[in-house]
Amino acid sequence: MIESTLFFVTFIIYIISALFYFSFLFSKRQSLAAVGFRVAFLGLSIHTVALVMRTFESGHAPFTNMYESLSFLSWASMLAYVLIEAKYKIQKAGPYFMLIVIALMALASSPLMPKDTSPLVPALQSYWLWLHVSVTLLGEAFFAVAFITSIMYLVVAAKEKRDSGEKSGLSAEKLDSISYRSIAVGFPLFTLGGLVFGMIWAYKAWGSYWTWDPKETMSFITWLVFALYLHTRIVFGWKGRRSAYVAVIGFLTAIFTYFGVNYLLAGLHSYA
Amino acid sequence: MKALIKFFSSVKLAIFLIIIIALASLVGALVPQERSPDEYFARYGQLAHFFQIIQFTRLYQSWWFLSLLFLLALNIIVCTLNRLSPKLRRAFRPRLEIEAKEINALRIKEKLKKDMALAKAKQGLKREFSLRHYRLKEEERENKVFLLARKKVLGLFGSDIVHLGLLIILAGGIASGLAGFKENLTFREGEVLDIPKAEFKLRLDKFQIEYYPNGRIKDWKSTLTVIENEKPTLSKVIEVNHPLSYKEFVFYQSSYDWDWTNVSLEVWARKKNDSSFLKTIEAKVGESINLEENIRIALSQFIPDFIIDEKNEVTSRSLQPNNPAAFIEGWEENRKIFSGWIFARFPDFSRIHSEEEMNFSFELKNFTAGQFSVIQAASDPGVNFIWLGCGLVMTGLFLAFYWPSREVRVILEESQKQTEFLAGGTAAKSREALEFEFKEIMGSIRRMT
Repeated sequence: MIESTLFFVTFIIYIISALFYFSFLFSKRQSLAAVGFRVAFLGLSIHTVALVMRTFESGHAPFTNMYESLSFLSWASMLAYVLIEAKYKIQKAGPYFMLIVIALMALASSPLMPKDTSPLVPALQSYWLWLHVSVTLLGEAFFAVAFITSIMYLVVAAKEKRDSGEKSGLSAEKLDSISYRSIAVGFPLFTLGGLVFGMIWAYKAWGSYWTWDPKETMSFITWLVFALYLHTRIVFGWKGRRSAYVAVIGFLTAIFTYFGVNYLLAGLHSYA
Repeated sequence: MKALIKFFSSVKLAIFLIIIIALASLVGALVPQERSPDEYFARYGQLAHFFQIIQFTRLYQSWWFLSLLFLLALNIIVCTLNRLSPKLRRAFRPRLEIEAKEINALRIKEKLKKDMALAKAKQGLKREFSLRHYRLKEEERENKVFLLARKKVLGLFGSDIVHLGLLIILAGGIASGLAGFKENLTFREGEVLDIPKAEFKLRLDKFQIEYYPNGRIKDWKSTLTVIENEKPTLSKVIEVNHPLSYKEFVFYQSSYDWDWTNVSLEVWARKKNDSSFLKTIEAKVGESINLEENIRIALSQFIPDFIIDEKNEVTSRSLQPNNPAAFIEGWEENRKIFSGWIFARFPDFSRIHSEEEMNFSFELKNFTAGQFSVIQAASDPGVNFIWLGCGLVMTGLFLAFYWPSREVRVILEESQKQTEFLAGGTAAKSREALEFEFKEIMGSIRRMT
């Protein structure tokens, strides 16, 4: 009960934060972005409490059905964004990123997602549930940051070209470098949580570390797309537009792995 | 041969292969794998046959998919070896004596002069580097000193370690595919089974199903005993996520099955003209029991998931107890007086046929069936390669992203009691951080007296 109230409060706070970020975008008043950031941080803190409450109410990790998993993914995305903004000062990405967080929260609160806690099926009763899901989703949250900064790159780079190289606050070059840095965090996390921990758990629970189950296959494809991003960038020196497209494709693949597989393709991962 | 090596040393080939492998894997995720020909025909119609010929239906074992992986492995080997030897030389036997123009070509560089002797300048410079945990190498030539200061050299090899890890994972996959073995064993309590390809037997001592209060399954627990040379050597309770490892074998609690050949029923009989009459009949399927003095009731058949099929015959839709039903017969001496189906879930649907007026009604109250524990026995010689490979991949990723090697070269040259410092730095990643450190070091040199 407390958890659902806290979840709702968090949702409202994220919306307020988005409003501050958007008014910053239109008024260009730096102080509004700072307020947006603080409000987002407050939301993140309450969200954390909500997830802890959920863990106590259900007696297991807070990501065993779609509602819990979406709530956790929005939490992870918020965390990733707060860390990246604190480090690289990319307030202009704030309004767009908040849209992703709000979309995830809205999906989680939709009536299609059952909210009741249910006891765990035998296969999920393992501490690997914690390690596998949380690390994977955290990795995907950093891919989400790279997705937003890459799309912003495409827009800003086109604008800079039009205005013959005139740079405003957040330059295309910086956006490109932040995309890379987010992927540099997200890729090792995704590899560790999604693939390595996934294989270890699969071996313990199902008796084989890899079965080409659709979710495994899609994670593998996501991993390949980001491997492509890194190789084209580091070896071929791709930067900017082409890199941004690869990062966008990578995030879309990750999102399909997360949602699409559950609804469109059956397999061993069809829990919830 | 040379042309072949050149072909496989191209990163473009790697990019091409990665894209093709990703697309092929996508096909395999969208087309369900290893189903029956009928299912494929129902899904894809005329295309089904074509899909089977090009092995879309068992894509990940197909020769062409495995060839793609093999080509990528070759590509990784050649590319990595190509890059490895110059890197190794750079790491372990670096060239120390360099020309001033090589430093001048670097992005991070500085030149300054100090009024001090070469030996003293060198000492001061070395102290500054040591303070910042750089490792030093030097070479002296007449009035010159070449200094090489480096840290986190291992970071240079991050990508190579990732690639080595991936190759080991692939090797593990091949080992698993060729020599791995997996089989489901179905045990009754007390049963001893031979393990295929092993020199020991396994006994199921006890099998338990635990339920949540809402009736859903919480866990299956099997107490297993390993019997080697007719002697029990090890006992363990296994459950899902907690398998038993013995020698090269691992035994998993996979699921359970009902033993529908061994069912006991509880049937309640009531009398229509006497509401106080209630008799509980408990017996196994196949047995019969006296209901009244000269009336016997026989529990002749049990079906776990009752359904009447299109041929109008009674059958079981599945092996799960979704609609348990029992066929009962009433006998008076040698004359059958009634017979029919009663349903545990739907007591009102009982259909008892009788020649005469029926004075009895029956309810199927409960049933208990023996259960099999399904245990998966597996041995996988590839699995240790996989863990080693995963460890290397993670180590390599960490080194590649978070252990950036830094290198600063300095040429010190003495002339007329002055020493000239020409310094330049290179960093694999995070150039800004090196630049900051570099400026700090040069600042300290400037202040040095």
